[in-house]
Amino acid sequence: MLEIKDLSVRFQGNKDDALSHINLSFEKGEFVCILGKSGAGKSTFIRCLNGLQKPTTGEVYWNNHSLFDMNEEQLRKIRREMGMIFQHFNLVPRLTVMQNVLTGTFGYRSTFKNLLGLFSAEEINRAKETIEDVGLTDQINRKVELLSGGQKQRVGIARALLQQPKVFLGDEPVSSLDPGTSNHIFNLIQDIHNQHQLLTIINVHDVHLAKRYATRLIALKDGKMIFDGRPEEFDEEKFHVTYHAASNQLDELPVH
Amino acid sequence: MWFKRKNIGTVIVLIILIYISMRLTEFDLSKFKDFRNMIDFLSQWFPMDYSKLPDMIEDSFETLALAFLGSFLGLLIALPISFTAAWNTAPSKWIYHSSRFILSFMRSIPEIVLGLIFLTALSLGPFPAVLAIMFHNIGVLGKLISELIESSDPGPQEAMKAVGAKKGFAYLFSIIPQIWPNVLSHYFYRFEVAIRTSLILGFIGGGGIGQRLFNDFKTFQYSSVSLDVLIIMVMVIAVDLFGSHVRKRII
Ligand SMILES: Nc1ncnc2c1ncn2[C@@H]1O[C@H](COP(=O)(O)OP(=O)(O)OP(=O)(O)O)[C@@H](O)[C@H]1O
Ligand SMILES: [Mg+2]
Repeated sequence: MLEIKDLSVRFQGNKDDALSHINLSFEKGEFVCILGKSGAGKSTFIRCLNGLQKPTTGEVYWNNHSLFDMNEEQLRKIRREMGMIFQHFNLVPRLTVMQNVLTGTFGYRSTFKNLLGLFSAEEINRAKETIEDVGLTDQINRKVELLSGGQKQRVGIARALLQQPKVFLGDEPVSSLDPGTSNHIFNLIQDIHNQHQLLTIINVHDVHLAKRYATRLIALKDGKMIFDGRPEEFDEEKFHVTYHAASNQLDELPVH
Repeated sequence: MWFKRKNIGTVIVLIILIYISMRLTEFDLSKFKDFRNMIDFLSQWFPMDYSKLPDMIEDSFETLALAFLGSFLGLLIALPISFTAAWNTAPSKWIYHSSRFILSFMRSIPEIVLGLIFLTALSLGPFPAVLAIMFHNIGVLGKLISELIESSDPGPQEAMKAVGAKKGFAYLFSIIPQIWPNVLSHYFYRFEVAIRTSLILGFIGGGGIGQRLFNDFKTFQYSSVSLDVLIIMVMVIAVDLFGSHVRKRII
């Protein structure tokens, strides 16, 4: 359903690839966690999946359509099928929970109704239900900057859900939250994942969290994929390589 | 240490600049020898002449109206231009550079010069003054707002992109809520400035209480001049207070 072929990204002025020759393919129902230390290329990778980042070479295929052959309008239609949540939530400040969640419908309309802030009764009902699903009904008319980190991420999740996505992407969605809140958020994501039969791909810092929820783990290091397998296969040694070993030792280690 | 060689150099340069500026402006405290004349002159201002008070109040409202209209129309026109003059929202490099050029061109012409041009071309009255204030404010507000847009948080914009929103919607919905308190704050400041400007424009025939003050002064009606000045002071203070009240409410 989502296929990555020989994907490489090099940022202007850098002499190393941020992502280097990645080949992967994902299917509906997989809960994928991507591990790697800071600078490994996790954000760059996930941003390529919905075309926020253009690769230097390589392709991403969504149901056999190449993202980077598309024009802006076609890409927009793909993006609205992929909900995304962010480390710093990326909510629109000074708008309420309800208003922020309703921006999740923007991909589906291109008329001036958006400008006037008019939403159909169906959209408003759906937004209310989604806000209830993430447990924020009592905060519905509060401005988002007044919420706690965990509540903000719930708004982010509700916004993504309102897109009725087939894919759920997360760029370190719990890295600025405490462990307890992180667990709650991951439980919520898992429930949604199971309920809607999504493909979920999330960057995580915390290996334990990743192992607990993922059905498939991928580890990146210096832009290269050094592990792709089931969570229980990610042992002490692989952990060590991912987070500590110097990159020149890489070649001696088996790559999945 | 507190005193460095560099600081002494700075002080010397400042002293030289002050000296040159005094020479150029014929700064001369000995002129205060004739201070008695000033007191004589000011004593003619009192008692105030209240007979023309209703006309004066009407003129003050004209001043308020032209300052408001000029600055607000300026804001309305500046808003869309500021999006094309911010590097992160401009549709193309070419449009970005040309909008910036237009804005700085509009800013570079002082309102008094615009006033002289419009008053000559369109005959005397408040309307040309409105245009002069509007024109200048497009340049000023356009620059200020484009800077707000450039320094706005890119996170919400990225989220709108990820949602699949069209560019225009993404900008409107992710940037305007972030910047509007600062936009209003800039606007109120420019409104206050516009009131002061419209007084000056009144001197060259732009209407309002400024023109009345100038006429009363030229015809030696000092007991009216004093009341004009008082009304102007009250008006400026009232607008300042109102502006700071609104700014506090919205930020
Ligand atoms: N816009 C950019 N311009 C230049 N270099 C960049 C840019 N974004 C990322 N990089 C570089 O690309 C590499 C991968 O960065 P990326 O943000 O993908 O890492 P990450 O795994 O998400 O790290 P973190 O855990 O800190 O978020 C890093 O070396 C980073 O410095
Ligand atoms: Mg990152």
